[in-house]
Amino acid sequence: MFPVPGKLEIKNLAVEVGGVRVLHNIHLTVPPGEVHVLVGPNGSGKTSLLATIAGYPQYRVVSGSISYDGTDLLPLGLTERARLGIGLLEQRPPTINGVKLRLLLDYIGGDDPERKRFIEDLIKETDHAHLVDRNIHEDLSGGEIKKAGLLLLLARQPHFAMMDEPDSGVDMDSITLLCQLMNRLLSPEREHPAKRRTGLIITHSDVILGRVSTDKAHVMIDGRVLCGGNPRIIMKKIRESGFDSCVDCLHQGE
Amino acid sequence: MKKTDFPIPDEQLLAQVAVVPGGENRSGTFILNNHLEVCSFSRSEGLELISITKALDTYPWLRKEHYHPQGTDEGRPEGFFLRVKEGMKITLPSQAALCMTASIDRQVLHNVIILEDEASLEFITGCVSGFDLAEGDHLAVTETYVGKGAEFTHTMVHSWGPGIRVFPRSTTLVEEGGRYVSNYVSLRSGRSVESSPVTYLNGPGASAKYASIILGSKGTTLTLGGDVYLNAPGTGAEIAHRAVCTGGKIVQKGLLIGNEACHAHVDCAGMIIDAGEDGFIESIPGLQSRHPSAHMSHEASIGKISPHQVQYLMAQGLEEREAVSMIIRGFLDTGIRGLGDELERRIEEIAELAGHGEE
Ligand SMILES: Nc1ncnc2c1ncn2[C@@H]1O[C@H](COP(=O)(O)OP(=O)(O)OP(=O)(O)O)[C@@H](O)[C@H]1O
Ligand SMILES: [Mg+2]
Repeated sequence: MFPVPGKLEIKNLAVEVGGVRVLHNIHLTVPPGEVHVLVGPNGSGKTSLLATIAGYPQYRVVSGSISYDGTDLLPLGLTERARLGIGLLEQRPPTINGVKLRLLLDYIGGDDPERKRFIEDLIKETDHAHLVDRNIHEDLSGGEIKKAGLLLLLARQPHFAMMDEPDSGVDMDSITLLCQLMNRLLSPEREHPAKRRTGLIITHSDVILGRVSTDKAHVMIDGRVLCGGNPRIIMKKIRESGFDSCVDCLHQGE
Repeated sequence: MKKTDFPIPDEQLLAQVAVVPGGENRSGTFILNNHLEVCSFSRSEGLELISITKALDTYPWLRKEHYHPQGTDEGRPEGFFLRVKEGMKITLPSQAALCMTASIDRQVLHNVIILEDEASLEFITGCVSGFDLAEGDHLAVTETYVGKGAEFTHTMVHSWGPGIRVFPRSTTLVEEGGRYVSNYVSLRSGRSVESSPVTYLNGPGASAKYASIILGSKGTTLTLGGDVYLNAPGTGAEIAHRAVCTGGKIVQKGLLIGNEACHAHVDCAGMIIDAGEDGFIESIPGLQSRHPSAHMSHEASIGKISPHQVQYLMAQGLEEREAVSMIIRGFLDTGIRGLGDELERRIEEIAELAGHGEE
C-alpha cells in the first residue's frame, strides 16, 4: 500500500505581515490522513497560518520551518505548493471580474479526460451549474462563495486540504450539503471512509464538527498555538468557559 | 475572380489579422499589398467587393453620392468598394487585408462600404505591416452607409511594426432601424494610431456599438476616439473601450451627442500592467445632450491587476504568467461579449502578450 501523502510539520514558526509579528513559535503537526481543527478568537492568527502554509508571500516567515511530506515548503512559491497538492478554501477570496469559474475549472481539468469528466459530474451532482457560469465570486452571496470554493477544492482533489471557515455565511439547509461535500473531499473513497485525506479546518461550527470527523483540535490565541487535543473535549470547554479558559491554561503552564 | 502575379503577402502575416488567405469560409475577399491589388472576389450573390478604382470607373454615382475626397486623398488612393444589395443577408463574413510589406512611405486608402436597405453582413478588415518594414504611414478613409433596417458589423484587426504610423478616418451613416457595430482590436499598434471614427445615427431607431480592445506596449501612442451623433428619436449608442498598458501611451475617448430622445452609454476601462518610463492611460468619456429625453451615461475606470487576484489563481495551481493572462482576458471580456472565434483568439493573444509584460 502507498503511504498516504499529506504530512504537514510546522516547527517554531514565526511570521510577520505588514511589519507586524502575527504568529509566534508555532509547532503543529498534522499526520497524514488526519483532519485537524484550528480554533481561536478573531484576530488570533488562524487565517495567517493557513495563508503562510499556502505560500502567500506577504506572510513573511521570520523563523522556523514548514515541511510537507518531508519537502521544505519555504523556498516554494504559491504555484509550486498548489501543485504539490496543497489546497486552500479562503475565508475571503477575491472577486475576479470577467473570469468565469468555468474557466478555472477547465484549467484544472487540463487535458485529462478523466479529470474533466469527474469535474463535470461533480458540477451536476452538486447542482452547482449556475455558479460555474458566474464570474469568480462576483456578486455572489456569502454562502455561494463558500460553495464555489468547495467545488473548486473538490475539483482540484488536493492531498492536503485547508478550509478557512467554510461554514460562515452558509444557511442551515446548505450546511448539510456543505458537510457532505467536505466529507467527499476528506474521505474520497466511498467504500473506505476511514481512508482519509489530510486536512486543516478553521471552524467553530457544531454542525460541521458533528458531521465531519476530526482527529484533533488546536487552540490559537494571540498568534500562538496554546494547546491541542480531542476536538469534542476542547470545544466543550471553550463553549462552557470561552477562550479565556485557554489563556488560564497557558498561564498555569508558566 | 482576379489573380495577379504580385507577391501575395505571407500567410502568417494575414493570419495575424484574422484574414484567411484562401478565402475559405468567407463570402468575399479583397487583398491589397502596398499599392497593388492582389485579389478581389465575391462568392455570394448580392455581395460586391472590388477595388475602389474600379468602382469609381464603373459607377458614376459613387463619386457624387458616397465618395468624399479627404485631405489625405492626394493622387489616386487605393482601397475597396463593398456593397451588399438590398435585402441580402450574407451569412458568411467577408474580409479585406490591407498590407504594407515593401518600403513605401505611405499607403493611402479610401474605402466605401454600402449596405443597402435590409441587407446584412459581417466584415473583417485586417491591416498589417511586414515583419521587416521599418517605417511608413497608413492613412485610411472609410465611408460606410448602413441603409434602412440593414445590419453591419465591422471588425478591424491591426498589427503593425514598431515604426508604422496609422491614421484611420471613418465616417458612418446609419438610417432608420439600421445597426452598425464596430470592433477594433490591436495587438501591435505601431508607433502611433490616431483613430477618430464618427457615426451619424440619422434614422429613427438606428443604433451603433463601438468596442475596442487594445494593447499599448512600449513605444506606441494610441488615441482612440468614437463620436456618435444620435440625431433621431429612439436611437441608441454604446461605446466600450478596453485598454491594457504595458508601457505605451493610450488615450481613450468617446463622445456621444444626443440631439433627440435616445439612449447612450460610454464605458472606458484601462488596466496598467507596467507603465514603464512614460506610459499612461487617459480616459475621456464624453456626453453632450441637447434633448430632455436623451438618456446618457458614462463610466471610466483605470486600475492595475490586484495582487490578491493573481495570488488566488496561483494558489489554484496557475503560474503567475497564466494567472495574469486569465485576469486580463476577463478584463477585456467584460462589456464586450460575443465577438466571435477570431476575436476570441486575438484577445487570448493580447492577454498572453500582456502576461509576459512585453511584446
Ligand atoms: N495582510 C495583512 N496586513 C496587515 N495585518 C494583517 C494582515 N493579515 C492579517 N493581519 C493581522 O493579523 C492578525 C491575525 O489575523 P488573521 O486574519 O490571521 O486572524 P484570524 O484568526 O483568522 O481571525 P478571524 O477569526 O477574524 O478570521 C490580525 O490582527 C490582523 O489584523
Ligand atoms: Mg480568519
